[in-house]
Amino acid sequence: MTPVLRIEHLSKTFPGQVALNDVSIEVAPGQVHALVGQNGSGKSTLIKVLAGYHQPDPGGAAWINGEPLTLGDGAAAINAGVRFVHQDLGLVGMLNAAENLALTAGFITGPGKRIRWRDEIARTREALEQLGVGHIDVKAPVDSLPPSNRTAIAIARALVGWEDGANLLILDEPTATLPGEDVQRLFEVIHRLKERGVSILYVSHHLDEVFELADTVTVLRDANRIASVPVGELDHDKLVELIVGRHIDSVASSEVQSTGSPVFTVRNLRGRTVDGLDLDVRAGEIVGLAGVTGSGREHVLGLIAGQTPRDDGDVRLDGTFIENYAPRQAMAAGVAFVPAERALRGTMTGMTVRENLSITDLSRHVRNGRLHRKSELDETKDWIGRLSIKTSGPDAPIASLSGGNQQKVMFGKALRLKPRLLLLDEPAQGIDIGAKDQLHKLVEEAAADGMAVLVASTDTDELVRLCHRVIVLVNGEAVATLIGDDINAERIEHTQLQTHGRPQ
Amino acid sequence: MIKKLGLDKYSALYLWGLFIVVFGIWAPDTFLTWTSLKTVLVENTIVGVLAISFLIPLITGTYDLSIGTMMTMSLVIINSFAKNTDVPLVLAMVIGLAACAVAGFISGLIVVKLRVNSFIATLGMSQIITAFVYFTSEQTISGELSKGYQQIGSREFGVPLYCYYLLVIALIAWFVLEHTPVGRHMFAAGGNPEAARLAGVRTDRLVWSSLVVSGVIAGFAGVVYSWKVGTYGPNVGPGYLFPAIAAVFFGASQLKGRANIWGAMIALLALASGIKGLQLTQSGSSRWIEPAFTGLSLLGAVALASRNQVIKVPKRKQVDPVVAPATPTPVRAEASV
Repeated sequence: MTPVLRIEHLSKTFPGQVALNDVSIEVAPGQVHALVGQNGSGKSTLIKVLAGYHQPDPGGAAWINGEPLTLGDGAAAINAGVRFVHQDLGLVGMLNAAENLALTAGFITGPGKRIRWRDEIARTREALEQLGVGHIDVKAPVDSLPPSNRTAIAIARALVGWEDGANLLILDEPTATLPGEDVQRLFEVIHRLKERGVSILYVSHHLDEVFELADTVTVLRDANRIASVPVGELDHDKLVELIVGRHIDSVASSEVQSTGSPVFTVRNLRGRTVDGLDLDVRAGEIVGLAGVTGSGREHVLGLIAGQTPRDDGDVRLDGTFIENYAPRQAMAAGVAFVPAERALRGTMTGMTVRENLSITDLSRHVRNGRLHRKSELDETKDWIGRLSIKTSGPDAPIASLSGGNQQKVMFGKALRLKPRLLLLDEPAQGIDIGAKDQLHKLVEEAAADGMAVLVASTDTDELVRLCHRVIVLVNGEAVATLIGDDINAERIEHTQLQTHGRPQ
Repeated sequence: MIKKLGLDKYSALYLWGLFIVVFGIWAPDTFLTWTSLKTVLVENTIVGVLAISFLIPLITGTYDLSIGTMMTMSLVIINSFAKNTDVPLVLAMVIGLAACAVAGFISGLIVVKLRVNSFIATLGMSQIITAFVYFTSEQTISGELSKGYQQIGSREFGVPLYCYYLLVIALIAWFVLEHTPVGRHMFAAGGNPEAARLAGVRTDRLVWSSLVVSGVIAGFAGVVYSWKVGTYGPNVGPGYLFPAIAAVFFGASQLKGRANIWGAMIALLALASGIKGLQLTQSGSSRWIEPAFTGLSLLGAVALASRNQVIKVPKRKQVDPVVAPATPTPVRAEASV
C-alpha cells in the first residue's frame, strides 16, 4: 500500500547545529503514527519543515500518496492535503466555533456575499458531531470553552473538507497544555478519527499517549531517526531506552541527604496541573523541578509565589505560612520569584532598567517621604556591575537590553531582596549560553550564602549543572528525587517519562 | 534628525515658540500683551485641572471618562446648596468634592471588583452621573453665588487665584508621581500589571484610589468653574473632556516618552497660545479654530514621537532552533488557503 506520507533523507542544518540528519519516515494510511523524542531531538523542526516554516537542506524528498511534495512550501503541503493542528491551535479566541471554522474553510455565502449563518452553524455542528463532541456550543466564543473543546474545534476545523483530497492530519503536542480529564476527552476524539480512517502524525512527549493511541512510533534522538517500530513490539522501558539512548534501571528516590532541617516546606500543594505535591528545601540547597509539560513542573513555583491561585496546600517558609495568591505577602515572608515568560510577567517594558530593578523595594531609597534619586541610581549601578549587565546606563529602557541582560535585571530585582527562598521558573529561557553561565554562577553564590533555591526547568542540562537535588514530577506528583550521581540528563529524562504513579 | 532636534520629545515647546514668533509678528499689538497671556491662562485652567484628573488614573492604566460629568456634578451640588439652603458655600464645595470621590469610588469598585474594563465602567458611570445632574438641576435655577465664596477662587493676584490652585495641584501630582514610591508603583501598574503585582505592587488598590483622586480633582474643576463663571448649565462638563484628554495624550509624547504632568501642561499652553493667536488674527467666526487646531496638533505630535518607535519589520529569516518560538506561525499558512 502506498504510504500517505513518505519522507526520505531529510536534513536540516542551522548555523552551528544539525537539527535533522538524513531522516526518513513512512506513515501508512489509516494509522496513527507517533513521533517522539526529547527536546531538541528534531521533532519540531520536522513538523516545521513540513509546514513550510523552515527550508530543508537540499537532498531530501517527500511524497504524499505517491505524489512528490515540495518541502519547505506551506501552500504546497496544504494543497497536497496535509492538515496541521499546532500546539497553540491558532483559533481566534473571541470568535465562536462556527466563525473559526469559516475563517479557514471559507464562509458559505448567499446572494450579495451575505454569510449564511444557518448553514455555517449546521456545518460546524456536523463537523463536531463526527468527532463525538456535538455537545460543544458552536455559538460561544472559543475562549469561554474548556481547553479540550478548543482542541477538538481546531481538529474539526482542520478536517473540514477532508473528503476532498485531504490525506494526513498532523497533531503537534495536542495534550501539552491540557489538564488530566481533558486529555481523556481528547483521546476519545482521536479514537473517533481512527475509526474514520484518518491518517495521523502525532507528536508527543507523553509515552502513555503513544501506547494508548499509536500504531507505529518513530523515535528521533539528536537529529537522527533512531527507529520506526510498531507500538505492539515495544514496552515502556524499551521505548524510553530508544528515546534516551541507553538502558537505565527504573529508580526509586535516591537516599536523601539529611543535613539540617528544611527552611521551606510544601505539603499537599494543588492547583492547575499540580496534584498533591510535597517538597522540602534546606538553607543553601538548590533543588530542581523536572517534568514534561503538563506534569505540573510549570505551575509549582507560580502556585507558591502567588502568580496562580492554589486549590489547596500548606506552604511555609521558616514556619511562616505563605498565603494563597498573595505575592506581596510572600515577598514579605522572604520569597523572591523570577517568573517564566519574562515579557508577560517580568519586565515593565516602557520603563528603565533602574525602575525595573528597584520596583521590588522602593522603601530603602526613601528620604523624608521622597524617592532619593541618587541612592536609587547608586544601587542600580551596583547591580549592573555585580551582574555584569550590558546596558548603556541605569536609565536605559529595559527593552533596549538583550534577553539575557533583561533576565539579569530580573535576577537583580529578586536578589536585592536578600530572600530566604529564591524561586526560579525557567531561568535560562531564551537567553544565550554566556548569560546562562553567569546566571548559574549567581544562583550558586546565592545558595552558598544560605539561600534556599528552587528551580523549575525544562532544560535538563541546567538542572544537572545547578542542583543538589532534583525532584521529578509526573502527572502533578513527585515521583522521584534524584541526588548525587543520579542527577544526570539520562536519568532525569528517563524518570520524567514514567507513565505510572509512584514507584514502590 | 527628528531625534537630534528633539522634535519627538519637545515638539510642544517648538510649537509654542513658533506661535509666539509668528503671532508676535502678525499681531504684535494684541498677541504680545499681558492681557492675551492672562486670557490664555484663565481660559484654560479648567481644562488643565481636568487634564490632571484624567492623567492620574491613566498612569495606572485606567481610563476615566466620567471626569467631565463629575465636574458638572460638583458644580450642580454647589449651585443647588446656594439656591436652596443657607449652608456655607465652602461646605457645599466640600460636599460636591465628596460626591465626586464617592462616584470615583464606585467606578473603582466596578473596575477592580467586577473586573469591568475601565473605559466601559467610567462611560457607564458618566451616564449615571448625568442622570443625577439632570434630576437635581430641574429643581434649581442657576443663580448668583455669594461674593465671599467667589473671592476664595477668583481674587486676582496678577491672575485669578484659581490659576495658582492649578499650579499647586500640578506640583503635588508631579511630586507624588515622579518622586514617591506610590507614583512609581502607579507607573509600574500601568506598565505591566502582572509584573507589578508579582513584584509586590498592590495594583488593584492603586487603580481604585487613582479613580477616587481623579473624581476629587474633576470635582475641583467644577469648583473652578463656579468661581470663574458662577452660574452653570447642566451640559457644561462634557465639553471640556476632549480638550483635556487631547492635552494629556499630546503631553504624553513630550519630555519623557510617557504620560507626565508638565508635558500635559506645556501641551495645553502651546495649544492655547496657538488658538489665541489665530482667534486674534481671524475675523468672523472662530469657533472652528479650537477643535481643528487641537486635533491637528495632537496627531502631529504623537506621530512625530511615535516615529522612532516604529519597528522595522525584518526580512523573514531562518530562526535559530535554540531560540525558535515554541509556537510557529504556519497555522496562518493554513488560513491563507
